[in-house]
Amino acid sequence: MAIIVDANNFSIHYDNTQIIKPSSFKIKTGDFVFLTGISGSGKTSIIKALYGEIRPKGSVRIGEFEMSRISKSQLATLRRHLGIVFQDFRLIPEWNILKNVMLPLLIKGIDKNQAQEMALMELKKVKLSHKADKFPAELSGGEQQRAAIARAIIHRPIMILADEPISGLDEYSASVVMDLFKKANDEGITVLIASHSMPQDFSREYRQLHIEKGEVYELS
Amino acid sequence: MSSLKSHITLILALISILFSIFLFRVFSEILNLYQKNIVDNYSIVIVSTSKIDSVNIPIVEKTEPIDTTKQIKTLKRKFKNIDFSKVQLPYFYKLKLKKLPSPKELKELENRLKNKAFVKRVLTHSSSQTKIYNLLMLLNLITKTFMVIIGILGFLLIVKQLEVWKLLHNERMYIMELFGAPVWFRGAALFKIAFTNSLIALLITFGLIYFVTNSYIFNVIIKELNINYHVDYIREFGILFVVAIAISLISSILVVVSKK
Repeated sequence: MAIIVDANNFSIHYDNTQIIKPSSFKIKTGDFVFLTGISGSGKTSIIKALYGEIRPKGSVRIGEFEMSRISKSQLATLRRHLGIVFQDFRLIPEWNILKNVMLPLLIKGIDKNQAQEMALMELKKVKLSHKADKFPAELSGGEQQRAAIARAIIHRPIMILADEPISGLDEYSASVVMDLFKKANDEGITVLIASHSMPQDFSREYRQLHIEKGEVYELS
Repeated sequence: MSSLKSHITLILALISILFSIFLFRVFSEILNLYQKNIVDNYSIVIVSTSKIDSVNIPIVEKTEPIDTTKQIKTLKRKFKNIDFSKVQLPYFYKLKLKKLPSPKELKELENRLKNKAFVKRVLTHSSSQTKIYNLLMLLNLITKTFMVIIGILGFLLIVKQLEVWKLLHNERMYIMELFGAPVWFRGAALFKIAFTNSLIALLITFGLIYFVTNSYIFNVIIKELNINYHVDYIREFGILFVVAIAISLISSILVVVSKK
């Protein structure tokens, strides 16, 4: 399997504070990875470094892009090939769910009608097609997160980066959301989930990267 | 309601800027025409001891001899005891200027003319000319200052509007950016609003312009000034269209680029 993330002796700093100490890890295509650690351990910082919101020191390569010196246009290109899921969903409040899910396709320049059809199919998969014309505020937290996952996978990204995607969701919604990540992974999409704890009864092969005192290491 | 308010703010700001640009241009043109009119009707008279072709001073466009035949005939009739063939009569010339001189320029011109050996006397009619010149300059200054103030106020309104737009559109543009949307995509909604607003502002401004330039008072003033001035509506529309689109597009690009 090809290596999709190659983090080599990288560290993350906020102002002068070191959040992540020099660490290394690799993620291969098709991996299902959990990034665990207590709150404030730096999970979100690593996810942010992977989608280019913050610049790491050292080397973090995603495919052909070196995140420590990625240009704006390269970053936009990379992001068009990533699927990002946030704890607070980050759906566009003034757009309905259908249009929110269509977003990555519209950015890629796919025809509006075709994008609409694809978004409806994706919403069917996350069991939200009946709420396509609703606005985010009209949906429950679990539903919003399902819509956010539909948006993250509709363009078949190379990797999904999810930051605390089940935090704050009830048990049922959390298990539905995890199932959606599994399905995406079944389709060959690499999944990296930052979570303060491992979900219960997680029945699948996975890897776990753990952060403790700023150091990232793999739990076997 | 807040959205409507934000539209009205931009439209009003654009109208004030567009209208002040138009008035600025109209006043400049009217003043130029009026100045030209005054220059055409203004001349300096010199009395020369000899015949001359020109006075060789750059500001002087033409040196025209004044025909004194009529006056001499009258003099001959009145003073029959004088033999005019033995009298060396002076030559009179009218100097047409290239532009309306300032009082300082006029004084300098007068001195230069007086320093010429052949010039016996210079008549500049300076007091009436200075009054007209000062009045024109004052009018020019007042109108332009007024227009600049309106323009600045309009610009400040637009800047304020940009802040509102930033708050309204920041979240959406940020999310789009996270998914790799290019600038034009993130700003598409803003560009659309800006374009629509500038078209509305342009049409309202043009209605105002049409109303003002066809008003009785405007036409009376133009007639009183005795100048040949007509508004070229197509040209003005073109200029204001470009300005309106440029202002609104630059504003929205600034919002998109300075997203946080």
